[in-house]
Amino acid sequence: MMIPVRCFTCGTVVGEHWEEFKARAKEGDEDPAEVLDELGVNRHCCRRMMVSHTDLVDVVSPYQ
Amino acid sequence: MELRVIDKTDEELRMEVAGEDHTFMNVLKGALLETEGVAAATYDVNPEQSGGQTDPILSVKTEGGLDPLDAVAEASRRVQDMTADFYDAFEAAL
Amino acid sequence: MTNEFDVEIIERDDRSALFVVRGLTPAFANGIRRAMVADVPTFSIDTVRFVENSSVMFDEMIGLRLGLVPLTTPLDDFEVGETVTLALDVEGPATAYSGDIETSVPEVVPADENIPIIELKENQRLEFEADAVLESGKVHAKQQGGVAVGYRHLQRIEVVGDAPEFDEQEPNILRGVIETEDGELVVTDEFDNDLTQRYPGKEVEVVDVPDTFVFDVETDGSFTVDELVLRAIESIDARAAELEEKVSV
Repeated sequence: MMIPVRCFTCGTVVGEHWEEFKARAKEGDEDPAEVLDELGVNRHCCRRMMVSHTDLVDVVSPYQ
Repeated sequence: MELRVIDKTDEELRMEVAGEDHTFMNVLKGALLETEGVAAATYDVNPEQSGGQTDPILSVKTEGGLDPLDAVAEASRRVQDMTADFYDAFEAAL
Repeated sequence: MTNEFDVEIIERDDRSALFVVRGLTPAFANGIRRAMVADVPTFSIDTVRFVENSSVMFDEMIGLRLGLVPLTTPLDDFEVGETVTLALDVEGPATAYSGDIETSVPEVVPADENIPIIELKENQRLEFEADAVLESGKVHAKQQGGVAVGYRHLQRIEVVGDAPEFDEQEPNILRGVIETEDGELVVTDEFDNDLTQRYPGKEVEVVDVPDTFVFDVETDGSFTVDELVLRAIESIDARAAELEEKVSV
């Protein structure tokens, strides 16, 4: 639904970088790997949090 | 930290150290083993899920007439020397 | 008895550090590591009183997210167990960010400001008051100040000869910091973590340096790494002092 605040595995705060990652890599055309490197999301446990996440608020909001 | 002596003779001590865990007990055990006059030192902890006794029990055995409680005091002193030195060394490196 | 500690900081910024310590016993190294993770307290939201939550998430889900937001923690000014009141009021359409949280104490604020708490649509609103409590990581993982704290033996590389001439060299991956034969400390990133890049065509042996550890420490932003390490040492020191006092009586 919303990006998790922290990485499930190591506890690093990943939510902080989500909006920039989304704008540049998911919606933009930059290479996700390079964006994550720049953001300092180095470990693969944290990277998968970002790469595999999908915002679902728009999907569930009609069903209140 | 609550101490409760279970067994105590001139050369042996068994003592519960309530409220502590491996973080401090292992450091203390290490320091005890380096202390002169200590023949054996160990501690035992049970995990929370086991129920019953969960606080660590420290066992010390000494030789050469050293009182085990004095040995523990000396080891604590040793740990404090170590922390003080490390504190200074780390601060100096900053 | 004196301990000859030697600390060398390889990389350091506010939230992460890599340093080598010589003269440490394994027990003490582990004690410091454990103290950094579980014994240095941080502020974290623990109780939330919702005034209005018409978002798509339940109160509990938002409560969980709030608890994970790191808060800056001035450890000199607070005792364990003390609380600080925070509040948030955002009306949609908008996203509520951690930076929107207002606090009663200017020193305790969200360490990161761009964490999305919840996206609010038209006519949705999130308003709450919350209490952040200073507790140690033993109580709950959200109270841990140290994140991904670890150490490993310093590894020393010794060149023992030449690699067989026509063999394809296998990669030899190491992480962290290594020591060369001249005693120089090299970060493994410099040679892509692969020893065959640094010593091409050589046969090398990797040995652990006794009593020497490479620490890799990160914090969640509650305080700096320096503070985390020093507080961890202090916490062990305080317990040793307490034990000495109690045993001597």
